[in-house]
Amino acid sequence: MTSVARETSGALKDKLRRRMGAWARRRQGDDRLPLVISTRRVYILPTRAGLAFAALLLAMLLTGLNYSNSMALLITFLLSGFGMIAMHLTHRNLTGVALRTVAGVDAFVGEHGRLLVTLENSADTVRLALECEVAGADGAAVDIPAGGTARADVGLPLTRRGRLEVDRITLSTMFPFGLFRAWTYVHIKAGVLAWPVPRGRRETPPEASSGGNAPAMHRVGDEEWAGLREFRTGDSPRQVAWGAYARGRGLLVKTYQSPAAHHRLFDLAAVPGADLEQRLEQLSAWILAAHARGERYGLRLAEQTLPPDSGNEHRVRCLNGLALFGTGETW
Amino acid sequence: MVSAAARSTTAATLVFVASVFLIAPDAPLWCVVIALGAAIWRVLVALGHIAPMKRFAGTRFLLGAVTAILVIVVAASARTLNGLVAGTALLLAMGALKLLESRTRRDDGIVIGVALFILLASALATQSLIRVPFYLLTVWGACAAIAIVADRGGALTPKAALRLSARALAMSIPLAAACFLFFPRVAGQFWSLQRGEEATTGLSDEMSPGGIGRLAINFDPAFRVRFEGKPPPHAALYWRGPVLNDFDGFTWRRSRSSYYPGAHLEMLGPEFRYRVTLEPSQQRWLFALDTVQEVLRRDVFIAPQDRQLSMAFPIDRAMSYDAVSYLTTRNEGALPAPGRRQETTLPLERNPRARALALDLRARTGSDAEFVREALNWFRDNGLEYTLDPGVTTLDSVDTTLFDSKRGFCGHFASAYATMMRAAGVPARIVTGYLGGEWNPVGDYLLVRQSDAHAWTEVWLEGSGWTRIDPTAVVAPGRLTSGIFDLLSGLPATSTFMRNNAWLSRLDHLWDSANWWWQERVVDFNLRAQLDLLRKFGIDSPAWQHLGWAFAAGLVGWIAWVSLSLRRGVARIRPDRIGRAWIRATRKLARIAPARTPAEGPLEYARRVGLQRPDLAARVDALASFYARLRFGRDASHQDVAAFEREVRNLSF
Repeated sequence: MTSVARETSGALKDKLRRRMGAWARRRQGDDRLPLVISTRRVYILPTRAGLAFAALLLAMLLTGLNYSNSMALLITFLLSGFGMIAMHLTHRNLTGVALRTVAGVDAFVGEHGRLLVTLENSADTVRLALECEVAGADGAAVDIPAGGTARADVGLPLTRRGRLEVDRITLSTMFPFGLFRAWTYVHIKAGVLAWPVPRGRRETPPEASSGGNAPAMHRVGDEEWAGLREFRTGDSPRQVAWGAYARGRGLLVKTYQSPAAHHRLFDLAAVPGADLEQRLEQLSAWILAAHARGERYGLRLAEQTLPPDSGNEHRVRCLNGLALFGTGETW
Repeated sequence: MVSAAARSTTAATLVFVASVFLIAPDAPLWCVVIALGAAIWRVLVALGHIAPMKRFAGTRFLLGAVTAILVIVVAASARTLNGLVAGTALLLAMGALKLLESRTRRDDGIVIGVALFILLASALATQSLIRVPFYLLTVWGACAAIAIVADRGGALTPKAALRLSARALAMSIPLAAACFLFFPRVAGQFWSLQRGEEATTGLSDEMSPGGIGRLAINFDPAFRVRFEGKPPPHAALYWRGPVLNDFDGFTWRRSRSSYYPGAHLEMLGPEFRYRVTLEPSQQRWLFALDTVQEVLRRDVFIAPQDRQLSMAFPIDRAMSYDAVSYLTTRNEGALPAPGRRQETTLPLERNPRARALALDLRARTGSDAEFVREALNWFRDNGLEYTLDPGVTTLDSVDTTLFDSKRGFCGHFASAYATMMRAAGVPARIVTGYLGGEWNPVGDYLLVRQSDAHAWTEVWLEGSGWTRIDPTAVVAPGRLTSGIFDLLSGLPATSTFMRNNAWLSRLDHLWDSANWWWQERVVDFNLRAQLDLLRKFGIDSPAWQHLGWAFAAGLVGWIAWVSLSLRRGVARIRPDRIGRAWIRATRKLARIAPARTPAEGPLEYARRVGLQRPDLAARVDALASFYARLRFGRDASHQDVAAFEREVRNLSF
């Protein structure tokens, strides 16, 4: 095959695949989790190997008929039956799988976000070599034990800041003989956020004080003790009051109240430059640096402001804000 | 640990090797050697014992050139490309080349495909029963290899792959049977390959002294016969084969030139109907009991002058035919002149003493019939010895037999007797065939082996026509009533042992019955047999269409069966007693309160029910707590589970 012909056939294949996808979408409508893959939504076609196998069987059949050779025909018929059983086995490997949850894991542009798809197998046989695919990403293979669950981890390459929308997950399998591919479309909304890459050489803006002009000379250790509060996910183990824990008071976190003056405010408007993306990247870099130092910081993006705070949750909220800025989506 | 890729290549190559072993007896040796060498090399590379072939820019070109050379070599050695032997050689060579350049899983798949086609070629070459298990094992291995090649993750162990494919193949047996019975066969060939020069077995259309003696120690089956009704007595079981009438003093041959019309033949006495299943002989001759009246098969030709059966093509697979024969015939007409001339011709300068004896005997007798009897008496009274080892023969073979060595096998005596008859002007010809056979009590049929090969003469007597005269019968009368075993010594020890051990002999009969069943019912199953089968199902004038319908019905039934039985296989996990009781409880609760959602834990659910029905809150909460304790706490005791079940049972509103 010449490269032109190969390209044409590839384009044709893509077109057919898109058509098929659109048709399935119209036919099935939107899905809600949890979802059990029923036979109605499982499609199956022979693979290239399956077509080659069929061609081989046809050649064998013609040879056997030509010579009226019973042994040759028996072998051919036996293999034909085998091929059909292979189709059933492949179909069966997919039907009845339940999709429990789909969760996105955000990441910076240039990295891979992840889509974690939890699959459940209520059958008494293991399901091997299922593939979970999302447009624009490499599929993730997963085996689900009998009566158990497994998580497919689909890596989503992030190339642009913002939300990467996934509106369709394709679950497929060619197990066990690779002669057929059975697949199903699950239409659910999921997505991951692509945060701006932390990049930029500008100096961190100085700490601001409520009073105004006095340069901030406070360091972290200068913060004032503010008491204990309950542990929340994302708190650093360093902040945990281990003494209190040892006394059986549960997981508590030491909090410090800096004076109002001791925080930094990262303002998009204050970042010079013409390119919005570069400015957002600079903000991202500052946020990470401030977080690493354990400082309190706030973020202002045009009209919206996140008041100064610290901790993992705050960091993620700020990064989400950067990711979604200008997309029209609220955060 | 072997990598998944190495496992894939090894599996595919092993299947290839198995198929090469199956074809080996029917393929050129050099191809087999090349194929096996390439296979060993490929496995060693896959397992990392030797380095793979380096690829360079010209590799593809080089492979193309090697392919072209191989094609030329095959074409030159087989003198054709359109033949079974040539095709097999090409398949083997191409498979070997594919192994040399294979690197991907797709290549492994192609190797399996080539192996399957080689398997098919060996089935075309031989379909004897003893090879069937090997064919099936190879098919099984190929299916398992397909699974291993498809398994990129390497999660499938070879054992699991074998188990999976065994199950898939077992489930496809009913379909294979239905297809075999009802898939419409074609009556002829739509593509004919030249067959190689395959070794012929059994009797041919010529007979030299000692020719039949060579067959006497060959115990392979020649054909099997099942009689409708009572079989004729053993001594009358003359199976006529090639009739020979050209004699050069040493070798008898079948005349190819003259076919003179047969005179009117009357069939007398009881008729015998029987079915013969012939082993493939690569010859065109068929065998029938004594004088055959008709053969119920259109492609069998009966020569008018000697009622000899033949086909247009060599018999390359087992074939069956129904025939009707008579043991007694009469022909009151005259032998046409060309026939008389042909059946009385002798080479002038050969066997002078036998000719002189014949003329002398004829002069002393009054009629042809009397002369025929006198000559037989001469054979009986002159100390001839029936032996497998008659010693050297000369060009005057008949003189040697009758006067010098006085030893001979059936062929020698028949040749000598016919020579004497012709010398005195009595038309005579040689009939080769088989005498007797071995009754198989297990399958209720007669097995005729190559060792039963025999030769006798037929002479023309005015008023009665062609009459069988068997000179061997007067020399060695025992030959008529028993097989060659009892008359000759020096047979292989194993065969005599086999016969004398009742248990082994029964086993032998069983095995032979199985072979016969296989030959007649499976190997020779064709369109005619398919239509016969439909007739048994009550279709009066069966045709293609009926076969199609039967086939479609079988297919639909099988698919339904497969879908059902495979669905059963994915039965849901059955919850344990605690889980079942809790499910019963939630079902009861669903009647009075919202149903539990899949994500809801027992305590959470109880709280929600409590909000909806404050009157039941305490009770439901207690039940849910009980369940949670049993489910998630330490091992629940038997009594606890029973108590929980009781609680659920008593739950009513």
